[in-house]
Amino acid sequence: MKTLPCEKTLNFIRSNSWITFLIEVNLLVIQVENLVKFYGETQALRGVSLEVKKGEIFGLLGPNGAGKSTLIEIICGLRTFDEGDVSILDVDVAKSSRKAKSLIGFCPQETLIYDLLNVRENLLFAASLQSLSSKNFKERISVLSEFLGLKEIMKKKVKELSGGMRRRVSLAASTIHDPPIIILDEPTVGFDPTARREFWGFINKLHKEGKTILLSTHYMEEADELCDRVAIVDRGKVVALDKPDNLKKTLGGTSAILVRVKSTQMKDATKLLARFSPVLTDEELKISVKDPWKTLPDITASLSSQKILVEKVEVVEPTLEDVFVNLTGRRLTEGEEE
Amino acid sequence: MNPTLGIAIKDVKTFFRERGTLFWTIAFPLAMMLLFTAIFGREVPFTANIGVVDYDKTETTNSIIQALNNTEIFGVKTIDDEQQAIESLEAGDVSAVLTFPEGFHANITTGRATNISLDIDETSPNTAQIVRSGLQAFFSEVNKDVRSTWVEFAKGVVTVLLNYTQPDVPKELILESMDDIVEPISITEEEPLTREAIGYKEYILAGVLSFPLLFSSMAGAAEIIVSERLTGTLKRIRASPTSPLSMLWGKTLAVLTQTAISIALLASLGYLLLNPRVNWNIPLLAPIMLLGSINGIAIGLLISSIARSPREASGAATAIAIILHFFIGMYFPLEILPDYL
Repeated sequence: MKTLPCEKTLNFIRSNSWITFLIEVNLLVIQVENLVKFYGETQALRGVSLEVKKGEIFGLLGPNGAGKSTLIEIICGLRTFDEGDVSILDVDVAKSSRKAKSLIGFCPQETLIYDLLNVRENLLFAASLQSLSSKNFKERISVLSEFLGLKEIMKKKVKELSGGMRRRVSLAASTIHDPPIIILDEPTVGFDPTARREFWGFINKLHKEGKTILLSTHYMEEADELCDRVAIVDRGKVVALDKPDNLKKTLGGTSAILVRVKSTQMKDATKLLARFSPVLTDEELKISVKDPWKTLPDITASLSSQKILVEKVEVVEPTLEDVFVNLTGRRLTEGEEE
Repeated sequence: MNPTLGIAIKDVKTFFRERGTLFWTIAFPLAMMLLFTAIFGREVPFTANIGVVDYDKTETTNSIIQALNNTEIFGVKTIDDEQQAIESLEAGDVSAVLTFPEGFHANITTGRATNISLDIDETSPNTAQIVRSGLQAFFSEVNKDVRSTWVEFAKGVVTVLLNYTQPDVPKELILESMDDIVEPISITEEEPLTREAIGYKEYILAGVLSFPLLFSSMAGAAEIIVSERLTGTLKRIRASPTSPLSMLWGKTLAVLTQTAISIALLASLGYLLLNPRVNWNIPLLAPIMLLGSINGIAIGLLISSIARSPREASGAATAIAIILHFFIGMYFPLEILPDYL
């Protein structure tokens, strides 16, 4: 693997021998067991259990109000909980909150930086919260400005920056102390598709550096694109947990092949493909199959053998949205604000 | 960097970069000081008529009355008896009446303390206050003269006696301690004032300095936490290993620095613009400012735990600060307030 510039400056973490020791011996960096949280009468978390492994990107996918932010804030030591256990690299969050916090870089949903300070001053403030020495700060700021493309804007006041740039500064502030675990709460909410892809690039870079990343999202493409494993959270419970592909295979239902032919040949085509039980919808034949890529050659061969002109063929595979719908009967975009 | 210092530096920077805050902390009190001085601080010639009832009718009382007439502040009107004096006072012919008792001269010349009674027309508090201060200042000077004559005479007698009876005892301390032991003339209505009469601009400058002292420290401490809580930036601090105590110290240090800078700026600008006669007592001023700020910060922190928005925090701090400003005599001398206040 190519050595990233950040590798050279990991000495801050490595200089703390106890952190290095914990990272080396723990394959499970975050452990949550039977977590229960009440807000008055309302139960926000109903016995959540999950484990995040070293070096993976773990996603919490669920609609607004599912309990993702509550779970993340408990893991970050920002909220208390009623029952269960939470530990970060074997450090009990409830008992040693400050020690656990030093292992995490938390990047909240809101860009929590100060408009009236410039980028460098914001990062200096974030560094002071971690008691970073001036030497380590200089090293980290040089790495992060390169890594996140902040060099040109270091002297600019945050209020003059675009939303995407602000989020980058927020990520830099959250990772100024080079933590082994990075927790991102809805990292790309409100982004346009281009900015979202760009931010995914930064998350992937951090992943390649060996960071363990826990992120919450209600965008299924985000979870699908970035995460090694995904926990689907609904109404305070983990309803499914696996690799995105496995989830789609086991819980997403069948795939579909959509075929469009000349309208004059539609009858012939339907007859010809009768063994695949096609359904005519919107001038297209929809064929539901388990393994579309194996069936597709048969279909196209049959049609061409009878000289039926194919105008369009499309394979529609199940998504994490389908998984969520199959599990809960609702869509990811439904639900209340969290 | 230490988290406490980091929080303090961040807060001070954001404070001084916010134009609105700067306006309300520096520009507004400064404008208020200039406006109040323009309205109330005009140095118009002031004269007041004083009625004098002289039951002693001696050379001493005559010369005191003459000196009083020469002050250019008081016009002296001689009145025969107290009954007439009260009538003049009630009719508004005179603002105050001084009564020299019989035996005044005899008392003064034989080294005995004596009283002068003073009646003041309180219907005009400002005039009454100026007359009172003026008379106190005048008699304070008269007292100095009389006292020095007495003390010099007494010191001579004591020196002779000590030389005769106790020649070996050091006399300097005994003689020095005699300087302030007597007050030849006292005015019965009021406790003698020894401070110099001050003008309005000197008064308002000192008063306005209490604005950042109370308001900035209180509103600053209240708003700084509430707004961080509301914007969510408090979450970043709480998500870090920084202890709550470090945060509290950081915020306190920031507000203290802001208040000190605001006071220094306001004092310098006020000094340059108004050119007041001031006698700074820095060793006393510094601890007073520190204690005042800490007081304000403590109230501000209490407000921050209750208020749900910066506007609510600021409103509460303003209301409390205005009440406190009034009762510390920032706008007007406390002497003109009713007795029960």
